[in-house]
Amino acid sequence: MHLFRWFILRRLAQEPLRSMTTTLGVALGIAVVVAIQLTNASSLRGFEAALNAVSGRASLEIVGTGVGVDETRLTGLGWLRDYGDVTPVIEGEIALREKARPQETLRVLGIDILRDRSFRDYPLTESPDLPSDRLLSRLLDPSSAILAEKFAAPRGLQVGSTFDAIAADRTTTLTVRGLLKDEGPARVLDGHFVLMDIAAAQFLLDRLGRIDRVEIRLEDPARIESAEQEIRARLPAGLAVQRPAQRGRQVEQMLSAFHLNLTALSYIALVVGLFLVYNTVSVAVLSRRGEIGVLRALGVSRSRVRTLFLAEAATFAVAGCSAGVVLGRFLANGAVALTATTVSTLYIRTAAAPPALDWSVIVLAFAVGVPLALIAAAIPAQEAARVPPAAAIRGSDQVDTRTRIPRRYVAVAIALLALGGWLATRPAVNGLPIFGYASAFAIIFGASFLVPAVLFAVVRTLDAPVRRFLHVEHWLAVTNISSAVFRLSISVAALAVSLSMMVAIAVMVGSFRETVVYWTGQTLQADLFVSPAAAGRPSAEATLSPEVVRTVMTSQDVLAVDRFRVTDVPYGDTRIRVGAGDFDVILTHGSLLFKTPETPTDAKTAMRSAIGEDAVVASEAFTLKHAVNVGDQVLVPTPAGPVSFRLAAVYFDYSNDRGVLMMDRSTFERHFGALAPSGLTVYLKDRTMPEEARARILSAIGDSHSVFINTNQSLRAEVLRIFDSTFAITYALELVAIVVAILGISGTLVTLVLEREAEFTILRLMGTGRRQIRRMVVGEAVIIGGVSQAIGLVVGLALSMVLIYVINVQSFGWTIQFHVPWTFLAQSSVLIVAATALAGLYPARRANQLTRFDR
Amino acid sequence: MPLLVADNLHRTFVVGDARVQAVSGVSLSLDAADFVALVGPSGCGKSTLLHLCGAMDKPTAGTVRLEGVALEDLGDDGLTRIRRDRVGFVFQFFNLLPTLTVLENVALPVLLAGGRSAAAEPAARALLDRVGLGSREHHYPRQLSGGEMQRAAVARALVHGPALLIADEPTGNLDSENGRLVLDLLTGLNRELGVTLLLATHDRDIASAAGRVVRMRDGRIE
Repeated sequence: MHLFRWFILRRLAQEPLRSMTTTLGVALGIAVVVAIQLTNASSLRGFEAALNAVSGRASLEIVGTGVGVDETRLTGLGWLRDYGDVTPVIEGEIALREKARPQETLRVLGIDILRDRSFRDYPLTESPDLPSDRLLSRLLDPSSAILAEKFAAPRGLQVGSTFDAIAADRTTTLTVRGLLKDEGPARVLDGHFVLMDIAAAQFLLDRLGRIDRVEIRLEDPARIESAEQEIRARLPAGLAVQRPAQRGRQVEQMLSAFHLNLTALSYIALVVGLFLVYNTVSVAVLSRRGEIGVLRALGVSRSRVRTLFLAEAATFAVAGCSAGVVLGRFLANGAVALTATTVSTLYIRTAAAPPALDWSVIVLAFAVGVPLALIAAAIPAQEAARVPPAAAIRGSDQVDTRTRIPRRYVAVAIALLALGGWLATRPAVNGLPIFGYASAFAIIFGASFLVPAVLFAVVRTLDAPVRRFLHVEHWLAVTNISSAVFRLSISVAALAVSLSMMVAIAVMVGSFRETVVYWTGQTLQADLFVSPAAAGRPSAEATLSPEVVRTVMTSQDVLAVDRFRVTDVPYGDTRIRVGAGDFDVILTHGSLLFKTPETPTDAKTAMRSAIGEDAVVASEAFTLKHAVNVGDQVLVPTPAGPVSFRLAAVYFDYSNDRGVLMMDRSTFERHFGALAPSGLTVYLKDRTMPEEARARILSAIGDSHSVFINTNQSLRAEVLRIFDSTFAITYALELVAIVVAILGISGTLVTLVLEREAEFTILRLMGTGRRQIRRMVVGEAVIIGGVSQAIGLVVGLALSMVLIYVINVQSFGWTIQFHVPWTFLAQSSVLIVAATALAGLYPARRANQLTRFDR
Repeated sequence: MPLLVADNLHRTFVVGDARVQAVSGVSLSLDAADFVALVGPSGCGKSTLLHLCGAMDKPTAGTVRLEGVALEDLGDDGLTRIRRDRVGFVFQFFNLLPTLTVLENVALPVLLAGGRSAAAEPAARALLDRVGLGSREHHYPRQLSGGEMQRAAVARALVHGPALLIADEPTGNLDSENGRLVLDLLTGLNRELGVTLLLATHDRDIASAAGRVVRMRDGRIE
């Protein structure tokens, strides 16, 4: 303990800048990991909390195939009461219409109040134990609703207040009949919850004749396994039994690829932070070789020296993890905000607030941060242990003066790069690109091992031209770097890693964006898009009223209308989207971007062959995730049971990654029933004035219904807005990694400056001006920044290929056309070099302060 | 029995493509309480021989026995133990640890040997008083003069009661007055404590204080 305190801790206290830089690097890395873990948990936990809150004490549930359960089938399910209490449930979403606030979504739960009390509790604020019949009497009126007090109070809603709600495209006035305490179902979506009688909810949500599920509360919960099997065996086709948690697992599966991507990105920031730990310990070992030699001469064993420097790394790790956990919780707010749009649009509605920091995340931070820091410091600690006492005191084994790069560095680099290439060819594991990420990490580490050779080659190449064409201080900068290649390599590698990820993501996002722009250009051919105002996205729950459909279809401006319907169905352990459209309208007026068959003519013929048949057109994501191709049979769950459909064609679809099966409306109606459309795509007679046609149609619809009508232009803009918000968090993560790496550069330069005090004194003695000293040190920083960026560009392009052709395809099933954003890369290169030059200003100032002529 | 017996020692260093024979066929014997000076020009192998005798390095060939223990047979842990328990070092450039106070520097060898602060500090204070630095125990090396630092280094080298004290040009970085003070200290402690002193110097005046002078040139004893 004495040695650790005296030899390590005191030195850390004497070098506050370097200590804080390294601690900050670890803290930022851990903060990003924690923030992403909390964000991932937020979206899932929000859903699971809602699921658990709403499920209450239900043991099992009977569900249909995406369009709910036909009420007429309930009479044949009376035998379910042999197992326990049974109750029907309906769920949906409405939007609160308020002038001063943006539209908010509320989750509606429609219950049979007489049967529901054994499943859930509804503690009202004024009467916590209100009997069922009294609660029922409050909800008898179809316009009655019970809100969560947490939601109602800030909006001035009390018992007796009325509020306007939009359900699908219909505006309804509801009356508040009670307020729920913040418990149980009232906690759904942070209090955005409405309780209604089931009949009223059916009417409000336009689900007459359908319910979402039948819940069962088993008399003997211990028999759940056997009960589930027995019920499964007795259920008719088109109905399935599952545990409520199954829905959560399906959502978890849907979100898994998205979460894994964010987690992998967050670990990049941590890796960069750990580079800083390696760098700091490495520099400490190198600069204290003499002291280590003294310790060895005094009888400190090798293992004890090794332990001392590992303890230094552990100190950084513990301090960094502690700060990182706190910072991560703070960052999680921003991370949730950045990802909320994507998750809500593509996957599930989620609560806005991130969960509170709990012990599992704190333990994770330390369990990841401390061991990794020890691993990062293992090599320099081992180097410290190998310092021979005699040679260190003599000072004759300064490793910095190596003039050759050991071959093993290059050999390891080649081996890792080759491994990375091979890993990129491996298939997904349970739909996740595990090997893809392993490939990316292998490439990153392989490139890191090449850094000394690259840095050495660059400075050797620069030597002659710099000496010839630039000033002497610039040439001194080149020679200084060439004599400190190994000590600088880690900082360069850290910055290069961060920059390569920035380049990779810029290329991937740029390629993706170009692909989406092209896709929207090819696919979004309609002039107007009509959707219910309550839905933020095409939804299985919100549909258009017959009046709205009739108004649009009979409009003088309209040439053709595709009435499309989407519904989500369980498919194995996940959910897919089943869509229905007017294939004839699409083929005549619209467009799909087909993957198979490859020629447009053949593809259209294939799609036309599906009209009226049991045939589907599938999105590329569906075919990749479920390994099917054109000509294969696909088993689709329908209300009457699974039905086999022929896969007629495959098209590109970037609107979701779950997979879409699209069938002609006639086929859909035959199997799922004549259901109201989720939206309308409208083709106008006069395509030159869509805004005017939009205004006329809205006027014709009037105030009785609430719809959104997007023009082609506004919808394309919205698609790109969602796209850009999806990747906002990746840019934020990369910025953190780059900041950490630049901190490392600055720290290393300061250390090198401090060790060259004698050199700077001699230079000043010889007449070197302070500006020249500054230019020399800044010149070193510029070379470091330039080499880092150059390596980052090359490695980044390689990584982008892994991202585009492996990780993206295996995660989301999307084909992206490779496109390099050269302008962005050029601009960022200039910025990075400028940033590292700025990072060199402080070390340059220290260099000028160091010169002392009295020594 | 002699305290130290070195027999036909050789030590070769490989520097780049060159092989340097720093010590070549040196034999030396020291008894307890001896004061032996190694004299020779710079680069003659004095320091290398000191390191071999002090368990800081292993010979390429030959044997070194300290208190009967063959040092060439020991691994790194064994040599470390020898240095910790039986040898004290005084270097030309003092080599005090900059982050430790004078008292802590001197107490360090006792702590390394497993002693507690309660035992180490009184022993360190006693030696600091003996070398005239009792009032400087809480100062850091940077606050001391060269002579003071070297006296602190001498105290550190003796605090754990070693059998052998090795001094490599202990006055090489001091002015003549401080050099004389340090030399007097070393010779006094050699007499008082009976610790064997093996000292390397290129200065004949320093060597004349020793009981025996061994001259070296080009890695050999003349």
